[in-house]
Amino acid sequence: MKLIYSPGACSVGIHVILEEIGLPFETQRVSTRDGSMHKPEFTAINPKSKVPTLVRDDGSVLTEFPVIAFWLARANPAAGLIPEDLDGQTRVLEMLDYICGTIHPQGFTRQFRAANFARDEADQPRVVAQGKALAEKYLSLLADEWKGGEWLLPSGYSVADAALFFIGNWCARVGITPPPRIAAHYQSMLARPAVQRALATEAA
Amino acid sequence: MNTLYYAPGACSLGIHVLLEEVGQPYEAIALDLRGGAQFKPEFTGLNAKSKVPTLVRADGSVLTEYPAIAFWLAATNPAAKLMPADADGQAAALQFTDHAVSSLHMQAFSRMYRPSNFTPNEADVDAVKARGKELYEKGLAVMDKALQGRDYLCGDYSFADSALFYVSFWWVERMEGTLPANVAGHYARMLARPAVQRTMAAEGLA
Repeated sequence: MKLIYSPGACSVGIHVILEEIGLPFETQRVSTRDGSMHKPEFTAINPKSKVPTLVRDDGSVLTEFPVIAFWLARANPAAGLIPEDLDGQTRVLEMLDYICGTIHPQGFTRQFRAANFARDEADQPRVVAQGKALAEKYLSLLADEWKGGEWLLPSGYSVADAALFFIGNWCARVGITPPPRIAAHYQSMLARPAVQRALATEAA
Repeated sequence: MNTLYYAPGACSLGIHVLLEEVGQPYEAIALDLRGGAQFKPEFTGLNAKSKVPTLVRADGSVLTEYPAIAFWLAATNPAAKLMPADADGQAAALQFTDHAVSSLHMQAFSRMYRPSNFTPNEADVDAVKARGKELYEKGLAVMDKALQGRDYLCGDYSFADSALFYVSFWWVERMEGTLPANVAGHYARMLARPAVQRTMAAEGLA
């Protein structure tokens, strides 16, 4: 198994999941900044030019954060990263899709890549402000609808927590103060050895 | 009984198709998105995200997010054969679904349909639309390659096909685009399915 990631990108969530599972895996670093994801060596593996990309033991490639997370959790039941029942699994998928399909691209991409949204540099602060406002709105919604305890879902720790972790990581980076629920969740995640190992690898 | 909240011709079209494929009784309630029905308390009480598709299940619990609703409908109705039986095949179906929903819909289509959401400057609108078109074509090319030599995305019909169907429908009907050959074949096969025809009629799109 090989994870292709970019340090600090959303792929850190998958990195955490692989550390939680605890089986050997390789990593390959690419950069979201230097265009290496658009080079033929990478597009041959993932034509969507995105991380996370997971190359499985049989050589097949899996893309899309929610799908990689869901598949890893179900393929490694002993790690306890997803409930066993269908309804619990569906709730995990629902949360993964909201975090990766809405909070990330709508809220944070605007802040990280304002130039993709406004050609004139003078307009970019407004793009960043819009992204920040959207991220804050989504995070409030998540906190208001919180049904879990320490972890996001009432079924307990799951791969959905690893997704919320990369968002928590970004809040610190862009200067968003998340609602207390989500700030506490981030601290709980940072205390996990698997998270510490993933962060150490990405910082090395 | 499941109740689907949808808007005619919105992405909820794909979930509507799946409910028709399942063939169990369900209720479908159209929301007037232009009139802001999704922001009224009657609806935000169900789904605070103000989005369709929203599925209220028989026990009253609410399910949101297209891939999660599609997966759940397929998993709870195995007789309808809407996904592969193994986890690997299910991951493949989810992968195509996420590509349609998160990339083709939310990145590509949204730029073309609501460009002003993507730039604060009116002068950028044409560039945003052009970027949306480029992303749409790139996303459809990935689907076209996946459909090489097969009728449906996972070989056999699955919930992933409902997601490709609605983004194909938008490309053809709203953007006057031309689908790549394999996706065009897929779109024609979808339109020939009785469940799709019933859905199109119910949403007033036929």
